[in-house]
Amino acid sequence: MRNKIISLSLAVLLLPIMSGCGKWLDVQPYDKIAEDDLLSTEEGFMMLLNGIYIELNDDMLYGGALTVEMIEIMGGAYTLGTDDSVWGNYNDIASYEYGTEYWRARFDETWNKAYSLILNCNQLLSRIDDSREIFSGDNYFIIKGEALALRAMLHFDMLRIFGPVYTRHPDAPAIPYYTGYTVTPEEIEPASSIAGKILADLHEARILLSADPVITEGTRMESQGDGSSDFLNFRSLRLNYYAVTGLLARASLWFGDKEQAFSYSQEVIRAANGGIFPFVDRALVTGSPSDPDRIFSSEVIFALSHARRNELFNDYYDPSRLPNYVFRMDNDMFSNRIYGGTDTGGNADDYRCRVNWIATGSNRYFYKYSDMASTGNIRNTMIPLIRLGEMYLIAAESQSGDLSAGLSYVNIMRSNRGVGNLASLDTRMLQYEYIRELYGEGQLFFMYKRMFTPVLFSTDESRNPLPSDEIFVVPLPDSETQN
Amino acid sequence: MSLILTIAAAAAMFPAVLSAQDAASANSETENISGTVVDASDGYPLIGVSVMLEGTLHGVATDLDGNFTLDISSSPCNIVFSYVGYETVTLEFDGTNASSFSRIIMKGNALELNDVVVTGVYERKKESFTGASATFKGDQLKKVGSQNIMQSLQTLDPSFRIMESAQFGSNPNTMPDIEIRGKTSVAGLREEYGTDPNQPLFILDGFETTLETVMNLNMNRVASVTILKDAASTAIYGSKASNGVVVIETKTPAKGRLQLSYKGDFGVDIADLSDYNLMNAAEKLEFETLAGVYTDGNGDPFNQVRLDNLRNDRLKAIASGVDTYWLSEPIRTGFTHKHNLYAEGGEEKIRYGIGLSYGGVQGVMKGSDRQTLEGNIDLIYRTGKFQFSNKLTINYLNTNDPAVSFSEYAYANPYYRKYNSDGGIDKYLYYPEEGTDDYPVTNPLWNAHLNNYDTSSSFGFTNNFIFEWFIKDYLRFRAKFGITKNDQDDQARLSPLHSMFDDLEDTEKGLFTQTMIRELAYEGDAAVTFGKLIAGRHMVNAVGGFNFSSSKYMNYGYSANGFTDDQFAAPSFANNYPEGDSPDYSETLKRAVSFYINGGYAYDDRYLLDVNYRLDGASMFGTGNKFRNTWSAGLGWNIHNEAFLTDRTDFFQMLKIRGSVGNPGNQNFSAYQAFTTYKFNGWMTNVFGTGVIVNELGNTGLAWQETINYDIGTDITFWEDRINLTFDYFWKDTDPLLAIISTRGSMGVSSVAMNAGSQKTHGWEATFRISPVYRPHEGINWNISINAASSRSRYADIGNSFSRLNEEGKASLAGTTRYYDGGSPTAIWAVRSAGIDPATGQELFIKKDGTYSFTYDVNDEVVVGDTQPKLEGVVGTTLYYKGLYIGCYFRYQLGGQIFNTSLFQKVENIGTQDVYNNQDKRALYDRWSENHREAWFKGISLVQTTDKSSRFVMDENTFTGESINLGYEFPDRMIRKLKLSALSFQLSMNDIFRASSVRVERGIDYPFARSVSVSIGITF
Repeated sequence: MRNKIISLSLAVLLLPIMSGCGKWLDVQPYDKIAEDDLLSTEEGFMMLLNGIYIELNDDMLYGGALTVEMIEIMGGAYTLGTDDSVWGNYNDIASYEYGTEYWRARFDETWNKAYSLILNCNQLLSRIDDSREIFSGDNYFIIKGEALALRAMLHFDMLRIFGPVYTRHPDAPAIPYYTGYTVTPEEIEPASSIAGKILADLHEARILLSADPVITEGTRMESQGDGSSDFLNFRSLRLNYYAVTGLLARASLWFGDKEQAFSYSQEVIRAANGGIFPFVDRALVTGSPSDPDRIFSSEVIFALSHARRNELFNDYYDPSRLPNYVFRMDNDMFSNRIYGGTDTGGNADDYRCRVNWIATGSNRYFYKYSDMASTGNIRNTMIPLIRLGEMYLIAAESQSGDLSAGLSYVNIMRSNRGVGNLASLDTRMLQYEYIRELYGEGQLFFMYKRMFTPVLFSTDESRNPLPSDEIFVVPLPDSETQN
Repeated sequence: MSLILTIAAAAAMFPAVLSAQDAASANSETENISGTVVDASDGYPLIGVSVMLEGTLHGVATDLDGNFTLDISSSPCNIVFSYVGYETVTLEFDGTNASSFSRIIMKGNALELNDVVVTGVYERKKESFTGASATFKGDQLKKVGSQNIMQSLQTLDPSFRIMESAQFGSNPNTMPDIEIRGKTSVAGLREEYGTDPNQPLFILDGFETTLETVMNLNMNRVASVTILKDAASTAIYGSKASNGVVVIETKTPAKGRLQLSYKGDFGVDIADLSDYNLMNAAEKLEFETLAGVYTDGNGDPFNQVRLDNLRNDRLKAIASGVDTYWLSEPIRTGFTHKHNLYAEGGEEKIRYGIGLSYGGVQGVMKGSDRQTLEGNIDLIYRTGKFQFSNKLTINYLNTNDPAVSFSEYAYANPYYRKYNSDGGIDKYLYYPEEGTDDYPVTNPLWNAHLNNYDTSSSFGFTNNFIFEWFIKDYLRFRAKFGITKNDQDDQARLSPLHSMFDDLEDTEKGLFTQTMIRELAYEGDAAVTFGKLIAGRHMVNAVGGFNFSSSKYMNYGYSANGFTDDQFAAPSFANNYPEGDSPDYSETLKRAVSFYINGGYAYDDRYLLDVNYRLDGASMFGTGNKFRNTWSAGLGWNIHNEAFLTDRTDFFQMLKIRGSVGNPGNQNFSAYQAFTTYKFNGWMTNVFGTGVIVNELGNTGLAWQETINYDIGTDITFWEDRINLTFDYFWKDTDPLLAIISTRGSMGVSSVAMNAGSQKTHGWEATFRISPVYRPHEGINWNISINAASSRSRYADIGNSFSRLNEEGKASLAGTTRYYDGGSPTAIWAVRSAGIDPATGQELFIKKDGTYSFTYDVNDEVVVGDTQPKLEGVVGTTLYYKGLYIGCYFRYQLGGQIFNTSLFQKVENIGTQDVYNNQDKRALYDRWSENHREAWFKGISLVQTTDKSSRFVMDENTFTGESINLGYEFPDRMIRKLKLSALSFQLSMNDIFRASSVRVERGIDYPFARSVSVSIGITF
């Protein structure tokens, strides 16, 4: 009895001390942002989401490697010189030598950066459901939808680089898919299983984003101006409802589901026709040659906003860099296939040629990312990742088994580029159109990989690399396989 | 020890003198007995011993020579000799045996410091304690050397090691790595944690403290140091205890009239450059010639003429006698002086002590010094059953470090002159003509003579307050509160004329760096102590308490540049902040709470049991694992108290066997590793404003690192205390290890704090002392002692967790540490070498499967050695002869290996840039050539790289003169003439020589030092 009383009173005495201690031991850092502090407010979630968008501008991701540099060289977009002191390691990647020390390290960095942002998405997603009550309006749906879509997009691009040529080997081992906080690594799964997870995330994102104001009010590419939050403005700088739909179209085509690809691309095209993503205003292209809208910004469904986007031009395309390396298209390719020649659809009057390709000496240089004269314009910061033209090209390719039946989609787009109709459509013609429309946006390599065709480096067919798993499938990075 | 006694005796003298006068006035008709009372350990007379006739109030006290005279009116009677700290002696006087009183020997009793284990939480009689521990008194430590406590502990205890730093040598401003019984954590993580995860816990006067505080502590203030080694003794510190505990008690004021003592230490430090084996001017030029420095690779005749001229100029200089010895330039004889002044006194109720210590240490490199100033006030107030004691310490520290590291002097070529023809210092020893590929060579004297500084000063205080309530003689309550505050400011300035700024614009030259560190720590503790002998046989001890602690650390700094002048060095003359630089700021807050219970039980002083339990909570562990349990149990058997032994012989003074087991933990880890934290991605904002991303991924499930610790040991003393042996066998299993694990890239972070695998260590240590001459009555005692320790560790279940560290090690130039299951943390991994093939001059490697190959493959790495010696320890001898004391201690290390970096980097692997630096003599000799095919080293080449192979692994056996001392305590007669209470002198030599089987450069950035010092102690 007495023992009982003692132990009871001990327990009564110790319990509050212990719980008090628990609180006392709960130390939050001051010199770093603790998760509990950050994710206790709506603004915290918004800052984390915005942080992920900002980091997509990293050199190793869409601020370089995955838009204009590494992936575009792999896509055969550029003609390279032979002098190693100027071109450094670029000739290795142009000949798909993924095993060099430099490129192993580079793929490592791209991989690590992509997955570190996936981790950020997962941190956000792991906390958002417990905090639903702190969000105003539809912000919970918007933030969660965008985070899911970002996670899917990053996984999808890693799958496109490191995974198999999907339609040929859907069950080949590909990449790991991370959906939550974990301190133990996820295993590498077959591509088909990754495909399911990407589509599932995108579907869920699309449902959540049905609350997106872009559907009713368009992209709203201007600031509120009254100091109130711009969180729901500038929708084409976010993975909005149509961007997710566009991603679904792109992914469905990759996974060989043409029916779905067509249906999603149609939905975006319909919305565009409804005025949300109108074709570029002719006046902005031809009317003001000193200040053209080089990226056709009204057609951009999703773009990054990079505060110093002109670095892309200055670091890779600017002819004043000479004699240092400058990326440009092969002259023959340019004048005999893409913007000239017979029966290739090439025409020097093409808006895409007129505003983006400027001659210096005998060469044409690529000015898509050069600043427009008017500074401070949001267009000057945009790196397009999904655009309307791609939707037309997807629709053309996926509307039926017969490619020529998709000719009208290509021609609608061409008519908005100031050039006449094509008479017929085949794979090669479609690929030329891809090059015109998406040059410098990091999609060409994936197009060749998906279609499993030669990479169009040159007009000399014998120089164009033939399709193979060796050139299309990049080995998994060292940091993944050695730890 | 006798110093302490003298002080204590002097303190007790006042009443003693009175009673002696009383005795003199008593009647003198009766019989007188007289004699001298001496200390059993050293034969010194004991002053103020009470000599009483049993059962009466009649008695006297011994005088300053330990003599007494007592008149006795009737016999037989019992005479009782009693003295604080000594066993009471009772002798019967039967009227005839007066002669047997001529010399009374008193032995220190069981409560003498050496025989008490002070854990900082409780004290226990060593005889009845089951833990493995060692206690040393302040002047025992002082007798070994006057540098600092750590140095002396290393000599006296085999388990305590200061890890020698080949990089930093004897830099007085570098804190050493300290280990007790080896490592428990993964090495190589210090960089990631900022703290040494193998560092023991330091307790100063019952409160946790830092290594730096202990290193700064003036040795003369130390009363005792106890090293707690095994689970039974350390578990009371729970989750901080797995690396062992060092408990330091400073002196408390003794009562008596005001007494003043002064202790001074004066020393010189001399750089030990014997490990350097650099080429002289002629050798270096020959080496360069052979290496092809003076041959144009492209056959360019103009350049060849230039190179020939260059070589001829140098040859001429050498012929004219230029052979510069650069190593002597930054070196000086360092003078050290330390002073400690302490005044103490008081009566029953109030005792006080006021101390002032100063330490000025000059390093052996010019511009390197360390000054400490320490003031302390100790107050003890006792009233009835309550005692209040307070210790306040205020300390100031100032350090300076040289701007040019020692290695730069070792690099300078001997064929350059130090000074130009005008006696001035040129900035460059060699400046190449335009259009050549040569590099300019900076004169180290130039950078050293500029107005650079690297200084640090700190000011702080510690106040420890203890309240004790003696509820009953067996029950005591104690509450403690301690607070420590320290402010440190570091400033460093590099002159704009420094060669490192050569390529910068004038407006960006020079660099000033300021760092501020603010620390605040507090700790509180409340405990109840129980100790009672029940029914004469059952000794029960118990302690239960609660402890909380908090420590906050803030570090803030910035840099500025753009000095335009060398002379004016104030930061106000800086023009800018470095481009893109932002202020550094970091802050950590760690908190911990704990509850603890300790129980000790001894049956008849024969069967012993100790148990501990502690519940710890700490802020740096994950929310899922905030609290952790520590337990330990120990058993012991005092065979020497068993009747079957005592009935037959009194040969054994102690024969004890003991064993313990427990699971102390380690929390020397970073404060926020369990937290997921975020940072602003400050490099860009967008229309939506700023953004944040994950900075570090925390692991909320992180479990504490704990070490299961087993120990069995024995303490044996026999042959009238002449032979003493302590032996311990221990094994430890740290499971789980806590480490920063490299992760797969897809985890999204490159590393995460995780629990991974375990580390198992087993080893033994022994201390043996014999006294061939042991005549305490005459104050003559000769001891020979040897201590030895040996341990082996290996990793288990770590799998691939450390692959990143392994890859880094493989890739780094001289990295030979690997982390594999079954491997030892100190193993040297390299590819086996069969030597240099005489035919081709190429190195022949032995592959894993035993076949030979000329191709180096990093995957053929195997264990080719271990840096941990198989056996190490100290042999020593001490001799006491009256007041004279001689002690010599020599450290031996046997059976270890070393990867000889001097051979690896300064004999082979000399690249096109390194050839401009001076190199090891061996780079010239024993090199393979067509005329010398049986060589140990490859041919001279500037382009060939040498890979890590067993060719550079050597057996390392060393023998060091760690401590040689000569002391003298002046006899009382002389002291009294000087009107002093005590006077002593001591001469100490530390690290005076070192013999090693391997010749390798030690002290790369700062040389090692040999030191000689003189200490004096005066008590007024």
